[in-house]
Amino acid sequence: MATMTLYPDDERLSATERAVFDLYAVSAVVLFVLMMLIGLLMRTAQGNWMSIPPDLFYQLLSMHGTGMVGTMGMITTAVMWFFLRKYVKLHLWAFVANFVLFLFGALCIIGAIFVGNYGALWTFLYPLPVALAKTWSNGAAAWFLLGYLLIGVGMLLFYLDAALGLIGRFGNLGRALGLQWLLSGDIDPDHPKTVVASTMVIIANVLGILAGAVVLVLSLVSAANPEITFNALVMKNLTYWFGHMYINATIYMAVIALYELLPRYTGRPYPITRPFLWSWAASCVFVIVVFPHHLLMDYAQPRWVSIIGQVVSHGAGFPVFLVTTWGVLTNIHRSGMRWTMPSRLMVLAMFGWAAGIVPAMLDGTIAINRVMHNTQWVPGHFHFYLLLGVLPMTLALLYHVIGSREQTTLDSSADRVGFPLYLLGGLIFTFAFLDAGRMSVARRMATHLPEWRGTDQVGTIGALLLVLAMLYFAMRIAIGLLRVKPDAGPRHAAR
Amino acid sequence: MSAPQAGTDGCSHEGMRNGAEPHSLMEHRALRRASLPLIACALLALPPLRPLLDATMTLQMLVQIPLLTTLGWRLAGAVPRGAGDAMGRWNADGISGLVLASMAALPWMLPRALDAAVDDSWVAAAKFVSVPLLIGLPLGISWPRMGFVVRGVFFMEFVATCFRLGWIYLASPGRLCSNYLLGDQQQLGRLLLLIGASVTLLLSARLLFGSFDLAGAAVDRSRHPDGEQPARSR
Ligand code: HEM
Repeated sequence: MATMTLYPDDERLSATERAVFDLYAVSAVVLFVLMMLIGLLMRTAQGNWMSIPPDLFYQLLSMHGTGMVGTMGMITTAVMWFFLRKYVKLHLWAFVANFVLFLFGALCIIGAIFVGNYGALWTFLYPLPVALAKTWSNGAAAWFLLGYLLIGVGMLLFYLDAALGLIGRFGNLGRALGLQWLLSGDIDPDHPKTVVASTMVIIANVLGILAGAVVLVLSLVSAANPEITFNALVMKNLTYWFGHMYINATIYMAVIALYELLPRYTGRPYPITRPFLWSWAASCVFVIVVFPHHLLMDYAQPRWVSIIGQVVSHGAGFPVFLVTTWGVLTNIHRSGMRWTMPSRLMVLAMFGWAAGIVPAMLDGTIAINRVMHNTQWVPGHFHFYLLLGVLPMTLALLYHVIGSREQTTLDSSADRVGFPLYLLGGLIFTFAFLDAGRMSVARRMATHLPEWRGTDQVGTIGALLLVLAMLYFAMRIAIGLLRVKPDAGPRHAAR
Repeated sequence: MSAPQAGTDGCSHEGMRNGAEPHSLMEHRALRRASLPLIACALLALPPLRPLLDATMTLQMLVQIPLLTTLGWRLAGAVPRGAGDAMGRWNADGISGLVLASMAALPWMLPRALDAAVDDSWVAAAKFVSVPLLIGLPLGISWPRMGFVVRGVFFMEFVATCFRLGWIYLASPGRLCSNYLLGDQQQLGRLLLLIGASVTLLLSARLLFGSFDLAGAAVDRSRHPDGEQPARSR
């Protein structure tokens, strides 16, 4: 069972671990602010409040999508590492290698976009990066793809090391996932939820990385020799298998923070249950086969694949979400929770995840997808659960950690302004996208029709509030992590 | 993860037992161990086996080259202990050996090289020497040194390569080799996809439900920094 102590001893970081964790955290908050600024620029341009040439717009959109997804993957890996290392032996070299390879990958991607003018978006859908008339060279596309490969290898190393730790302690991944208790037997009350979630993420994301390793190298082959062509639909399936799994895994890694921290703030235990194990086992299978919901409008796709896409869409995130929401709400109910930043962010995260899933599932329904496909409904739903769900989960951990470093209140008056600003900005920003989707405004358009500008401009205002709030959070977290006040009597000094 | 152990254990463990043996006896043993794989390689390079296995692209890639690799792997058992230890210094965790084997394997994935190995006796000689000595042998020496993570990377890359090559062979509209027919090439493509899928399924099942004996190095490498006790699986 997760500990009830606010800052338990087994979470202490050694000086090296602390340096590495700080590197992850500070890089992430800085990258989030930069990518949000790019997002703000794009939304402002769509609202016609400024002008950005279309080729630059697609470069910015590529940078924003890739940068946000990559940064989310990087920081949620740190969330998983932070808690999982308490239960199984993790090697710091793997965590460091992941970061270093992420950095190299990011450099390749930034170079491909801003030096090589790559603009085929984060989904690099074949054959767009390597064929057709375009404003970038195959070389730039190759650098972009190479960047992804490096990031994938880094994650693979981290996951393999974590798998080794899990197998070393539990015997195999099935036992770590708790499969032995699905039907009968007394569940070990000390079996950590973190272990269950991490195992699920490792299984799903390693398969995703495998698909990525295939599709990225084949795209590279095509960049080197454009005469070799591949079936674009199969490539698309593999690309989404990889990309969907990667971004989905961020939710499942981030939610670990909720499982671990919530009981400490409510002061009430959060036991592991059979429905909990069932939900993670089911989601593990579903998340691997849910990606066809991205291809509902690809009519060449076999019909049964699309049907799987719809059915599994409803089943994939739902079990974990339902069990987690139930668990969290019953944990909070009448608990006399201490309302500081980590707890506020956790409750916001639950709301963002819960509310964001609704438009997502709607869009995963074939009849609705016919109308909503590739409209701004899509960025509406994923910004909802990424901005208001996953990001607050990770911010909750970072806030919690700065509370361990200095004797500071996690509820300053600036925090009390920053939080509602973020919430308000987030709601305005995402609802503007959803409303534009309702009006069938196309997504991924550099230039918007005058009729679309209303929602664009409202969205821009929301984005501005978000950027301001995030800028404050980033400074607060970076300063909180990096400033070592010898006289502050830190609750959790480095070992 | 499952690991072919043949010959590799012999290298280090027997070597240790033989620590006090006279030099000439050790040399004799090494020669005896090397002779069988070397003779088998020579047989593969000569008629009737060579033309038989060169007859189709599928046989060359899925039978002849893997056989040569396995024979090279067995040669690892003949490497004298001193040489093995000396190499261990540059082969931490078996990574250098793995990189060498991967580099040497690259050309033999190209249809052009398979084609040339049929037409040109120099290329054929290069194949019969490089596959056992630069792919099989380094893998055989390095495998016992590899921990779980390095083996994981190896399997991942192996499976991904099967899928990539399989697909390339299937997708190419024309013949990639002048010696082999399109049907042969596509059959090879399909078989490679099948191998990739089967290995993925087997590995997944093993990781999920199998039992592992992660002795020493793999569980805590900090205590065994040079990977002397590698991960083993039952
Ligand atoms: C202030 C915050 C943000 C702003 C202003 C913003 C803005 C935008 C805009 C304008 C688009 C293009 C919409 C269109 O297709 O028309 C977009 C797409 C996207 N955003 Fe954001 N965003 C923000 C935060 C985030 C976050 C936190 C994430 C993920 C962690 C994220 C991930 C993405 C992704 C993946 C795309 C899709 C890119 C594509 O279509 O290829 N964004 N964002």
